[in-house]
Amino acid sequence: MAATLQVTSGCEERLSILHPAGPAAQTIAQVWWIMLVGAVVIFVFVMALLVAAWTRPATLNPGDDGRRARVWMWGLGLGFPMVTLAALTGYGLFMGERLLPRDGPDLVTVSAEARQWAWAFRYADAPGRVTEGELHIPADRPVNVRITSVDVIHSFWVPRLAGKLDAVPGHVNVLRIEAARAGTYDGQSAEFSGAGYRGHVFTLIAHDAAGWAAFLRDGAP
Amino acid sequence: MIEILRLSGPMTIWVTVFSAVYALQGFTCSRHWPEDLWARPVLLAAWGVGLALQVIALMAVRRAPSRSALVQKVAMGIAVVALVAGIWTLMPVATTSVCL
Amino acid sequence: MTGATQRGTALRLHRGLSRIWASDPRLRGWLTTSNNNDVGILFLIVATTFFVIGGILAMLIRAQLATPQSAFMEPQVYNQIFTMHGTVMMFLFAIPFFEAMSMLMLPGMLGTRDLAFPRLGAYGLWVYIFGGSAVIIAMLMGLAPDGGWFMYPPLSSAAFSPGIGADVWLLGITSIEVSAIATAIEVIVTVLRYRAAGMSLSRMPIFAWYILIVSVMILTAFPPMILGSLMLEVERAFDWPFFQVENGGDPLLWQHLFWLFGHPEVYIIFLPAAGMIATILPVMARTTLLGYGWVVAAAVSLAVLSFGLWVHHMFTTGIPHMGLAFFSAASTLVAVPTAVMIFSWIGTLWKGRPRMDLPMLWIMGFFATFVIGGLTGVMLAVVPFNWQVHDTHFVVAHLHYVLIGGYVFPMVAAIYYFMPLLTGRTRFFKLGEVAFWLVVPAFHVTFLAVHVAGLLGQRRRTSTYDPGQGWEVLNLVASVASFVMAIGFALIILDVAVNAFVAVRGRRNPWGAATLEWAAANPSPAYGFASIPIVSGRYPLHDDPDLAVRIARGEGYLGDASRNRRETLIVTTAQGEPSLVVVLPGNSVVPFLLAVVTSTSFLAPLFGAYLLSGLALIGVVILALIWAWGLGSRTDEGLVDAGHGAMLPLASETPDPPGWWGSLFLLLADSVHFGSLLFGYAFLWTVAPNWPPQSYLQPDFWGVSLAVGGAAALVAGPRLAVGAIRRGRAAWPGIPLGLVGACAIAAAAATIPLARAEPAGHAYDATLWLLAGHVGLHAGLTAIMLIYFAARVARGYASPARIGEARIAGLWADFTAATGLVALGAAWLPGAFA
Repeated sequence: MAATLQVTSGCEERLSILHPAGPAAQTIAQVWWIMLVGAVVIFVFVMALLVAAWTRPATLNPGDDGRRARVWMWGLGLGFPMVTLAALTGYGLFMGERLLPRDGPDLVTVSAEARQWAWAFRYADAPGRVTEGELHIPADRPVNVRITSVDVIHSFWVPRLAGKLDAVPGHVNVLRIEAARAGTYDGQSAEFSGAGYRGHVFTLIAHDAAGWAAFLRDGAP
Repeated sequence: MIEILRLSGPMTIWVTVFSAVYALQGFTCSRHWPEDLWARPVLLAAWGVGLALQVIALMAVRRAPSRSALVQKVAMGIAVVALVAGIWTLMPVATTSVCL
Repeated sequence: MTGATQRGTALRLHRGLSRIWASDPRLRGWLTTSNNNDVGILFLIVATTFFVIGGILAMLIRAQLATPQSAFMEPQVYNQIFTMHGTVMMFLFAIPFFEAMSMLMLPGMLGTRDLAFPRLGAYGLWVYIFGGSAVIIAMLMGLAPDGGWFMYPPLSSAAFSPGIGADVWLLGITSIEVSAIATAIEVIVTVLRYRAAGMSLSRMPIFAWYILIVSVMILTAFPPMILGSLMLEVERAFDWPFFQVENGGDPLLWQHLFWLFGHPEVYIIFLPAAGMIATILPVMARTTLLGYGWVVAAAVSLAVLSFGLWVHHMFTTGIPHMGLAFFSAASTLVAVPTAVMIFSWIGTLWKGRPRMDLPMLWIMGFFATFVIGGLTGVMLAVVPFNWQVHDTHFVVAHLHYVLIGGYVFPMVAAIYYFMPLLTGRTRFFKLGEVAFWLVVPAFHVTFLAVHVAGLLGQRRRTSTYDPGQGWEVLNLVASVASFVMAIGFALIILDVAVNAFVAVRGRRNPWGAATLEWAAANPSPAYGFASIPIVSGRYPLHDDPDLAVRIARGEGYLGDASRNRRETLIVTTAQGEPSLVVVLPGNSVVPFLLAVVTSTSFLAPLFGAYLLSGLALIGVVILALIWAWGLGSRTDEGLVDAGHGAMLPLASETPDPPGWWGSLFLLLADSVHFGSLLFGYAFLWTVAPNWPPQSYLQPDFWGVSLAVGGAAALVAGPRLAVGAIRRGRAAWPGIPLGLVGACAIAAAAATIPLARAEPAGHAYDATLWLLAGHVGLHAGLTAIMLIYFAARVARGYASPARIGEARIAGLWADFTAATGLVALGAAWLPGAFA
């Protein structure tokens, strides 16, 4: 897998979750790398047991089924996965709690309304302002995106900043995003929505403090 | 038929309790119950009741053993699994935020 | 006896039984046969055909994705192709294929002569063929569904998917689910009651446990999906707004119902394959399964846990974190019983002396693949990670690892393992090894690349993509390797076909297996066993190497063709003691005809032919009654000689004949369906926007009285009739009482549509109509059964011994009364309290 990543590292990864540019995506990327290492270790271990079944000397694993059950069932079947999985579940939930859209100082709220196949964004700090296909946020500040849809189900996703959250008609879902640095990030809908699904994308522009003030003032980035 | 009940009962109780607590959690959120005042205590209580049911199921399997040693062993195993599942899968009642 | 006389006995018995069990040798015999060997092989061939079709669709997908900005397919075409790929593989291949394998193998493993309801099996086959063909024909006409195989509304609603594509999906898939439920009931009753003498639960072959568990899962997982399909179809046809937000519906209800089915479905597919591994691997390791009881407990736990995972397909729909956490925890926990199975199998290899025959090679392929799929599955259970990779190619890769690695590879192993039994021939050509080394490495190259593409942000289901994201090489590699894999699969099919026709005749039990299916002659004759084996352990062929010969000589139970009918043994559920003799029905064209009218009633609405659909439904009732009328007897036969001095009653002369057991399990499915309806009602009430409705249904005195009185009469009537027949008295006072009860409860239900005339106005009204419809339908069914039963009594088909039919009607009456009261109560209570 490392080799495959090497092949692609020369390209532009504007949608890669492995190239995070904000705290939420950073956290999730960390979760991924930890899980990948764990998974590789477990896979190699299981395969080693499997290979050993063919190559081991006959003296290994003697005894009756009762003794074997202690090793294979109690130890490897129950003990090993339960310890590993309890740790992983706890870790995953702990990380998940950190990504929730809690109240806090400095919080900016924007809303995203999806339709086939476009996005309209509105701003709590600039009532009446609507941008199409282009979401503006301040960099280095937590942003809550209030997501909904007017027709079918879509999904709001800026891979380098955070996970995705669905735009469901009749519901408003709130996603916390944050860009560490000013810049332009790619966003895409990630719920299949019919013939125009491929083109259902948007751009996220994170401004520095001055740029954000300018955007709120007169809409010009 | 009683053997089938013995084997399937405890896990069926788990899936019922699990779904019920999930439904209750959805209900508390849709009614905007205050988290620490109402929602969590109610959910914790429901979890407790569910675990009590599973302990009762476990005791029932133990008290009225099957004529078949294997079925009895398997049924006890499954009843313990159901209890562990009840603890494991509903643990978030105590540890995560309710409606965020 | 000399050897010659013994051979003579065996031969005479073979001739006698062959004549009794033979299907019609003419071509039309395929339409009238209900023998598990015939039905199973047809099932297998049709399922394999659908696998080929699904595979071709997969190749089209990979051809499209091989290069960026591909102009090979328009999005409109591509959307149909990937929707159909998922649909065909999940519904038309995976489930029917294992059903076929269990039809073919299960009677042999259990030591019985056929499945419990041979005609139901034939019916299931034909419904599947018609429903599946309709879906494929629609695709060839360019009318295929294009909303993805999970068909989320509103995209799949009439407003966003006009045309019949979505209807083809909903109706076609529902008819196939009906077929699967029919087969599941057949399998459950077979495993519980149709076994060799002495085969207690703890002596059952491990596959029987697995398939029993899977069949119960089918009965509990498919009904939510059937309900969802019914709701969506009614919404599309008549605008009942179950999933429309503005009128009190909620699209998330569909996702809940779909995944309540869809997640168990994954395990419904995996567990039969696991059963095959647990069967084959110990034989190939020349030992016995390590931890048989552990594996049974793990399979039961896995099965039920899988019903608590459905929301992990919905982690990004905006459900609060605690809700997600429940399902995240359950999703990691489900890996524990899986680990128990995996380590039981590896431990079995350690315990034995494994040999690397072709089936074993495929099982090694399973390990190398499924373990990775399981590990990525655990990753997906972790909520934050799921938020990132949900609906990307990472998920696509994960599910192919699980389904191909966890299902297709073990099933290929199973085909090669059972080939001597299916065809009577052993492999001669060695194409299978070549195919393995094409398929498995190519599979890993394809789907490892697809994982990485997903991590780099490639969404699933886009018709193509732009260059410059780092996806081009990955996709090209995946596509090239996938074609290599396809060539490998083609070689397997070719290999099996060629070997089936031209390879050498094999000897019996070439692998040295210990279970009963290898005791029958190979290929298995129509009657299966010349006499029902007597077993005293879990590994009968190891306990008694001569068992096959003794069975052939008629030294088991029922080793006698003189009664000239298809008999087999029924045992007690737990201990496996001989209990009853059952007479199975012979060849008949009725199951085929019933499948024709059933499919017509399902498919006619596609063309707006509701009248035809209704007429076909009447045809279904009439044919079902003709079917049932042909069974049973007008005289009491008393105890019959089953051999070994056992005088056993006939199954038709007991209070709980197989039909009673079948009804019980059908009603289990029906209860889950009803429970899902209540769940939908409660869900909309709590979660959907635009609730509560403007006004509530008000219960009135007459409605409530009719409901309560009707339910009481429904419960009492059939009981009176059963009691009277038992005492040899006239049954007539009870039957009309039951009929009056059915009419009363139907009338009570009818007050709902009368009071709320606009089901299209609000999801509340639409749900009330469904509740009323549930009551009306069941009251109608019960009434038909009671009238039918009255006719049976009049014609002398009931006696104090032949009481089973009355008790079946009673079961349905009880169910109608109980669910009727709950349904009407649920409809009335909010109004009573408001």
